[in-house]
Amino acid sequence: MVKIKYTLIGVLMVIIGIVAVLIVFPSEEKKVKKQFNLLAAWVSKSPEENTFIMLQKMKNIGTLFDEHCELKAPDQSLSGSYTREEISTYAANARSHFSQLDLKFYDLHIIFPEGGITKVTLTSRLTGRSTAGELMDETRELECVLKKIESKWLFSEIEVVEVLKK
Amino acid sequence: MEPTYHDGGVNFCWRLRYLFLEPKRFDVVAVRFAGIKVMLLKRVVAQEGEQVEFRDGKLYIDGQEMGEPYVRYPCYWNLPPRRVEKNCVYVVGDNRNMPIENHHFGQTSKSRVMGVPLW
Repeated sequence: MVKIKYTLIGVLMVIIGIVAVLIVFPSEEKKVKKQFNLLAAWVSKSPEENTFIMLQKMKNIGTLFDEHCELKAPDQSLSGSYTREEISTYAANARSHFSQLDLKFYDLHIIFPEGGITKVTLTSRLTGRSTAGELMDETRELECVLKKIESKWLFSEIEVVEVLKK
Repeated sequence: MEPTYHDGGVNFCWRLRYLFLEPKRFDVVAVRFAGIKVMLLKRVVAQEGEQVEFRDGKLYIDGQEMGEPYVRYPCYWNLPPRRVEKNCVYVVGDNRNMPIENHHFGQTSKSRVMGVPLW
């Protein structure tokens, strides 16, 4: 009986140990997903958002990007290389036109082609309401490249995939 | 796809429809993005090799006007002719009562066509 008791305690401790390790040292895939969750949270906007939260979010968005991030889009006017500061400024400007925004990511396929680089294919859906009251619902397929810099995964390339070509 | 299907509605997709068949003209199909959680419902209007054109809101395939009884709202689109590439289909929504720039349509790879709505 005593032997069974100690065996159960041992098994329990091993399980707790594994869970603790998984929490303390999340997999690279989880770290990448976390960056997308943060981006979604910081781009999204509730009608009650005050200026302090807005400024904090804009400052935070820049930290998710590499020093220079390449954007490739079918609309050539948007394509180009942007600095963190430019991204924060553009995001703040774009968000100011909306009273409510909700960014969600679906179907993330994450691969690690080489050390320190990950490629993620996903569907992004941005819904919201403009300050003029118009509804917005934009869905796009994206291909993102993130680089691991100082143990953080940072967006370095974002390409909008043309699912329907006019 | 108004008025055939309503925005935000829930539909089930019959994914085995194109296991042995090819999408046909006027089929309503589900087109996938990166995965299967978010899809578009569109109507196939042209197949590979065909030439698509809109003139004053009317659809022309290889120069011939096509009747589209499912388009209920006024449409004034103009789109110069373009040929559908190999292994692609040309899809358009039924709701064309908006500027052409605001409508999400065009040719897409057949591999993105996941099936048809069940009803």
